[in-house]
Amino acid sequence: MRAKVHEPIDFGHALRDALVTGVLTLLVLGPVTNLVLDGYAITAELLRGPLIVNGIGLALVVALGRFVVAVGVQTPAGRDLLTRFGQKGAHGVTVETAADNDWHRVLRPLVIGGALSLLLLVLSRFGLMDVQRAAALVLIVLFVVLGQGLGSLRRRGQSSPWRILVPLLFVAGLVLPLLFNAWGLFPKTWIGNLILALIYVLLGLGLNIVVGLAGLLDLGFVAFYAVGAYFLALGAQYFGIGFWTALLCAPILAACCGAVLGFPVLRMHGDYLAIVTLGFGEIIRLILNNWLEVTGGPNGAPAPGPSLFGLEFGRVARGEGNTPFHEFFGLEYSADYKFLFIYLVLFVVVAAMIRFITRLRAMPMGRAWEALREDEIACRSLGINHVVVKLTAFMMGAMTGGIAGVFFATYQGFVNPTSFNFFESVLILAIVVLGGMGSTLGVIIAALVLTLLPEVLRDFADYRVLLFGALMVLMMIWRPRGLIRPKRPAFAPKGA
Amino acid sequence: MDWHILGQQIINGLTLGSIYGLIAIGYTMVYGIIGMINFAHGDVYMVSAYLMAITLAVIHFFGIDSVFFALLLTLAVTMALTGLYGWSIERVAYRPLRGSTRLAPLISAIGISLLLQNYVQISQGARVQGIPTLIEGTIRFGSGEDFVQIKYVQVLILVASLACMAGLSWLIGGTNLGRQCRAVQQDRKMAAILGVNTDRIISLVFVIGAVMAAVAGVLVTLNYGSFDFYVGFVTGIKAFTAAVLGGIGSLPGAMLGGLILGLLESLFSGFVNTDYKDVFSFAVLVGVLIFKPSGLLGRPEVEKV
Amino acid sequence: MMRKSLQRMFAVSALAGAVALSAGTALAADVIKIGVAGPHTGANAAFGEQLWVGAVQAAADINAAGGVNGKKIEVIKADDACEPKQAVAVANRLVDQDKVDAIVGHFCSSSTIPATEIYAEADKLAITPASTNPKVTERGLPTVFRTCGRDDQQGVVAADFILKTLKAKKVAVIHDKDTYGQGLADAMKAAAGKQGVKEVLYEGLTRGEKDFNALATKIKASGADAVYFGGLHSEAGPLVRQLREQGMNAPFISGDGIVDEAFVTAAGGPQYAKGVYMTFGADPRKLPSSKAVVDELQKKGLKSEGYVLYSYAATQAIAEAIKATKSTKGSELAKWLKSHTVKTVMGDKAWDAKGDLKVSDYVMYQWDDKGKYAELPTK
Repeated sequence: MRAKVHEPIDFGHALRDALVTGVLTLLVLGPVTNLVLDGYAITAELLRGPLIVNGIGLALVVALGRFVVAVGVQTPAGRDLLTRFGQKGAHGVTVETAADNDWHRVLRPLVIGGALSLLLLVLSRFGLMDVQRAAALVLIVLFVVLGQGLGSLRRRGQSSPWRILVPLLFVAGLVLPLLFNAWGLFPKTWIGNLILALIYVLLGLGLNIVVGLAGLLDLGFVAFYAVGAYFLALGAQYFGIGFWTALLCAPILAACCGAVLGFPVLRMHGDYLAIVTLGFGEIIRLILNNWLEVTGGPNGAPAPGPSLFGLEFGRVARGEGNTPFHEFFGLEYSADYKFLFIYLVLFVVVAAMIRFITRLRAMPMGRAWEALREDEIACRSLGINHVVVKLTAFMMGAMTGGIAGVFFATYQGFVNPTSFNFFESVLILAIVVLGGMGSTLGVIIAALVLTLLPEVLRDFADYRVLLFGALMVLMMIWRPRGLIRPKRPAFAPKGA
Repeated sequence: MDWHILGQQIINGLTLGSIYGLIAIGYTMVYGIIGMINFAHGDVYMVSAYLMAITLAVIHFFGIDSVFFALLLTLAVTMALTGLYGWSIERVAYRPLRGSTRLAPLISAIGISLLLQNYVQISQGARVQGIPTLIEGTIRFGSGEDFVQIKYVQVLILVASLACMAGLSWLIGGTNLGRQCRAVQQDRKMAAILGVNTDRIISLVFVIGAVMAAVAGVLVTLNYGSFDFYVGFVTGIKAFTAAVLGGIGSLPGAMLGGLILGLLESLFSGFVNTDYKDVFSFAVLVGVLIFKPSGLLGRPEVEKV
Repeated sequence: MMRKSLQRMFAVSALAGAVALSAGTALAADVIKIGVAGPHTGANAAFGEQLWVGAVQAAADINAAGGVNGKKIEVIKADDACEPKQAVAVANRLVDQDKVDAIVGHFCSSSTIPATEIYAEADKLAITPASTNPKVTERGLPTVFRTCGRDDQQGVVAADFILKTLKAKKVAVIHDKDTYGQGLADAMKAAAGKQGVKEVLYEGLTRGEKDFNALATKIKASGADAVYFGGLHSEAGPLVRQLREQGMNAPFISGDGIVDEAFVTAAGGPQYAKGVYMTFGADPRKLPSSKAVVDELQKKGLKSEGYVLYSYAATQAIAEAIKATKSTKGSELAKWLKSHTVKTVMGDKAWDAKGDLKVSDYVMYQWDDKGKYAELPTK
């Protein structure tokens, strides 16, 4: 016997709730959807389909839903559910413990990843899923697990299973795409999508240093991305530099830009900094667009593809004395090789970057960033030079953005200012926030989700961007602190 | 320099600026009260232009021919509906995120912005929409070819935005509701303890912002006659810049920032170069913020230990 | 625990969704797939719609007449939002995933240029109904064609008209800082320069804005007796309105970017749009060959404005080439198209070695006070 007293369900109240919600929905959506402007007149389309663009229909659905919910929460089961949902998890950051590097803990992502891959392969084997999509998803899962491995910190002298696993996964990440491509499972579309996704992982990691670790809100991050991309394109045009030179020089240039832009603005706080960076981002884009003589303006500029020890990936070699890759190896020409090569190089670079940032976080500089994010005044009182610390964060972020830009330019073969608009900055910021600020793994997952989602949603044609927006809102409501809660590396001495 | 050209550019700038100012109010009030950049605000303004055209067409359908009454009714309905938009967006997308990280509502707002843009595009079509010219006529000063002119609509824009500003200043400064708003802005927790219904006040601020955007939407549509689902983006960024320039969180600052931005754009474009107009505006913004980090009229931030 | 399992539920249902999605992509062997790429979101979505309407109608008509070599045509919509990044992604997807046999598109020159690189590499025929930038066909890609003219041809016609017919001496050239608009404005500027007329003003406005009053005042102050605008109707409309409102009544001339009745709406009514000149291909709607199609579209409540018929013609050209060569290889189709004349809805069309139309027939049009455009009678 339950001791609880069952209150009678108040249908009247539920009905009123439903009515109010329905009317509100009707008022909000009705005019825009059911009265369609046609020249200077309107046509009333009351029975319009599909449902999503019919305000009247939506109002009915919403009212019904509200009624069900209103009745539902009055039942004991509903009330239980409500209280469970009402319990919010503890806020704040958890600190890694030594146990995080146990086999048990390490195995979990591995097992989940492995099982997911297996599931995907089985699904595609039985024709339930597109084989190419499954193959790409397997690579993504692999990358996420690798990212988790690279991102977990080991203390000196401590043995961790990752020590063996990471190299294995890394090699697998290099070999599998080649195998998949040879088997015809990994076509150019998916290589292209994954390249873009990894570029955004890189951008996310870069901005994560600035926003997630150092706590400086940067809305103009795309500027450094543009610097990298245009460095390759214009450098090739005017000075004949190639992909590899650009890959080495662009980050330095971008970091310098970061320093130049960062220096005057770093005494600003929080949101003002955001606006100034937004302003800088826009200024760079507008200059790229307007300075026709040098940048090619809106027509953009061509960017060279990568080369491998003088071997080019085009159908015919462009540089003097160069041989195309396929001729050298006696293969039939395929555009896939270029993209595969970019993918592999990018894979190595992103992996190295994840490791680099993970190490950095444990070093005094990285700790100073996080300390500064938490309490600037305390840090300054303790003698941390806040300008230098912020500047390093800004430069590190800019550098990563620059690298991403080089890859973008070479992948696209063409750069123009429309690729570097404000929305792009916003998308990168969304990656960082959705991933869970400060969490490397979160950023990786969010970047993959946010870049691949629109491609997957292409099946919804016109509703693609609409759904993307809705999912952004829902994800934020579902997980306001991001997908993965950041863990702070533990610094306690051994044995403590 | 020809004085009539300068005069004309100043009038152009003031009209543009007061529109920026009206939209900037939405950004500045929301920022002031919950410290969040409401990226969807520009799109609320865009929706209001659509609502205005739809209402006007409905009114025309019912055969109200008097321009004055039609406009008054349109304004009222648009303000009400757009206010409702502001309220529902806050309720659906921002309230569940209150008390979480500072950036969560920002991302949610971006989502809403995409949602609104594409929803309007899908339901109303991607074509440019418009309304017939309702108010015609200009006042011209000067003779022959060298004249300075101001359209009646532009006069209306200036008067209406001044009136809105005055009304809003009174609402915030002189009424009990305004006092509650200011209390919530200063210290939300304390205000709640003292019996202010903070949720209601925050909703109210969103509604006020949306209503101001609606006024701007109606005036702009009257002036330019056309709009599409994309107008919210560019205007939104400009208005936001204006809000920051004036000092975000400050009401007169928003209006001042708007006017200054409008004038700067207009004069730079008129006498120097249109291509680099936006570069110049942003450069001025950056310059102002470097030397006066909290905007022109913003309260300087006090560093609390 | 409950929360945990709920999360799991979410994950599972998301996965199920993904599976359901991929299961939907079925393969069919005996259809000819034509990708129709254009902007369906973003500021230029109206034009993407035009391309789509034309291609769909063409496919329906061809299928009704028995298809191509017994195969039906299937059109696949692809959205590039006029953004190069998305254009590349969409092009890759059309080629690899949808396995299209040919492409109609894209709309914006800035999307067509990177996307055609991919089509050329995959040896797919691509016919753009709307990208008029010279670079589209100047890069030596063998499989790229267009059913529209080129900006440099358009610019010459406009310059001739402005200088010879309107006898203007001071021309203000305005553009929208976009590949298409600026290209067109530059072409016209160059053509006018050859005839010894230098522009009095050359400026770019920002796309997406509506207030060009400052620019209008400046144009007026420059004393121009003709205004040339390279850009699209969404900016041309407000610009012409604001010029007229400021008492500037000099002729306003633009290109084929304002060929849409939305131009009148954007200008705020026919009282502002009237008298505006533009260059456009000889009106395909007037041709006897297009009458049936125009009527058919009319019946469905669709307009055959702008690029609709261009897109229709592009689809027809693809179908004809496939019918004749019995191949879907881009290079073979291209070879055939370059040596044959195709009967299209827009009359007989033939292409030169670059893929441009052999005869491009830009003529001047003028908007009237009823919000319609008509060809100017040639004197």
